[in-house]
Amino acid sequence: FKDDFSTSPHLFTPMSPYDVELPSRTTEDVFGSQFNQPEELHPDFSSVDLSFLPDVTQDNKERGLCEDSHETPEECDVSVQRNEDSGVFTDESSSSNPDATQPSPETPGVSPHLSPMTPVTPASSASESSGIVPQLQNIVSTVNLACKLDLKNIALHARNAEYNPKASLEEFAAVIMRIREPRTTALIFSSGKMVCTGAKSEEQSRLAARKYARVVQKLGFPAKFLDFKIQNMVGSCDVRFPIRLEGLVLTHQQFSSYEPELFPGLIYRMVKPRIVLLIFVSGKVVLTG
Amino acid sequence: CGSAALVEDALYAQQQLVCAACGCVLAEGLLTTTYSEEEHLREVAYSQSTGQKEQQSRCLQRGIRRVQDLCKVLQLPAVFEETAVSYFQRALQLPAFHLVSLEKKELLGGCCVFVTCRQHNWPLTMGTVCSLLYAKQELFAGVFLSLQKELGLSVPALSLADLVKTHLSSFRLFQPSPGVPAPFLEDKEKLVARTMGLVELASETWLVTGRHPLPVVTAAAFLAWQSLQPRARLSCPLARFCRVAGVDLPPPAHLRLRELLEILLGMASQLAWLRGFHLDKKTVVKHVGDLLQHRVFLLKNAFCQAGEELQGQDSLGQGSPSSPPMAQEKGCPLAGKCPRPLLPPCLIHPRKRLRSAAPSAPDPPVTGDEPISDSEIEQYLRSPEEIRSFRKAKAWS
Repeated sequence: FKDDFSTSPHLFTPMSPYDVELPSRTTEDVFGSQFNQPEELHPDFSSVDLSFLPDVTQDNKERGLCEDSHETPEECDVSVQRNEDSGVFTDESSSSNPDATQPSPETPGVSPHLSPMTPVTPASSASESSGIVPQLQNIVSTVNLACKLDLKNIALHARNAEYNPKASLEEFAAVIMRIREPRTTALIFSSGKMVCTGAKSEEQSRLAARKYARVVQKLGFPAKFLDFKIQNMVGSCDVRFPIRLEGLVLTHQQFSSYEPELFPGLIYRMVKPRIVLLIFVSGKVVLTG
Repeated sequence: CGSAALVEDALYAQQQLVCAACGCVLAEGLLTTTYSEEEHLREVAYSQSTGQKEQQSRCLQRGIRRVQDLCKVLQLPAVFEETAVSYFQRALQLPAFHLVSLEKKELLGGCCVFVTCRQHNWPLTMGTVCSLLYAKQELFAGVFLSLQKELGLSVPALSLADLVKTHLSSFRLFQPSPGVPAPFLEDKEKLVARTMGLVELASETWLVTGRHPLPVVTAAAFLAWQSLQPRARLSCPLARFCRVAGVDLPPPAHLRLRELLEILLGMASQLAWLRGFHLDKKTVVKHVGDLLQHRVFLLKNAFCQAGEELQGQDSLGQGSPSSPPMAQEKGCPLAGKCPRPLLPPCLIHPRKRLRSAAPSAPDPPVTGDEPISDSEIEQYLRSPEEIRSFRKAKAWS
């Protein structure tokens, strides 16, 4: 692995907003999400100068920081600096921030809503470092159909819909609809908001959401397609060696939570990029957020 | 009995009003109070109400009292109580906890005690705290993780060594007593030392990572106890051992025992003076002492150290994705004789069918803007006949 940030800008030119590290602090308000986005960690890294790392997180955009500004103390990438050899995560800790090799200095203020979506194949900068490419397993997106919906009516007229307002314990007032291609599930609320889950790529999620909107239209509602947004992406990969979680939690204490009494995996809240990793003893890793 | 000597006592961290003369329990738990929710004819279970209308001090006071009771029941040092109470006070002021249900607030008190214990390396398990609070472990887990995040607490890992010492102290095997037959009695120091050795062995051979700690300790204690007097004890099953010792038998302990025995058998095959014998799960127990004494050597020779070899050679650093992960291909020191690689059991016995690693690229790649045909959408709509029969079958209001 070559920690060579000087060459990385030439490797990859972002073409669409999706090339940028997509912020996703919105998993809290998405049904079914289990892992809350970590709020700011405030570790004391004031002595560490990480200004060479590009700022591409949503937080920095909101604060109006420019791309090559100095790191604020909160947004430090400790995983690069703390390259201690725990015997477990040697090179992996350096490659844990793929966005360091995919900077987008030209698009500091990119907002996540998109217009023309060009198909995105991120340059294989991540795979150059470790040979491991996470596979996308699930995409969660939301869209606003912008009209009030009669859920009972939808459940009566659609074959692929379930609606049972008193059944579940949580008094869940939504229609659950499914389509076969792309194989996804949608939660449709009477307010007109919709959540689409199960797609394996952002494009598939958008296509699926459009199909659900078309179904709702065909049922007689004036459904629009506003504010489509990817809320969460879940990926998985395998580093192909066993991991001493009890060692990892010691060397990366500020970011790790390993409680074998609760859950067999270690929950690693990475700061930059802001994602949550579930790391298991088998070497399998789930990335979400 | 009519005596006026009433005492407030805490049994298992629950407040009780007890008569000091006859021991009768007069009042248990807390009195319910009415809230404005009930005025609005909506029933709110007391434990689900937030206590929001209460004066903050009263809710806080009750919570602090609960934390103190917990510390007394667990017989913790006084400094633990101060720390736990201060965590509780800090947490309760935060918006994340101020408005949670009273049930959760009680769990919050337990979490503060739990975190304090862990920070002082006092081996208190979550299972113990949950049983004291009559809490569901999932709920406790959620509150614990929130507390850790909100207060930014670093909670050190549970020390297995301390857990061994504490857990073994609760075994009733060290003093003669009516329920304990003579062959069961054992010297505490010897049992602790040998259990510790077995737990360390389990840890080195990937039997502990990602697993509940207590079943490992229980299985190790049983093996250690058996090995100290094998002739008399080999016939005693794990369940009976736990019953006599007066401890719970957690279900995974049987599996951990099996795994430990498998490791020991593998090691025994490398011990020079045992090579002639054909050992099985029972007979290997007699040699646990020797196996532990030479475990470094035996582990190295008995198992392919797949994981360690990879890290030592820094093969990942060379960035060659084709490098094989298993040490067998790298030339195992036993030249093809190794029984199995030293890996976590989940890798040796994978339960899931291993899917092909090739990513399924959509062909052609989806853009998301594809046209959607009417016929495709119409397949999801019910025909008029279907709707009619549905209406007849179900009563749609």
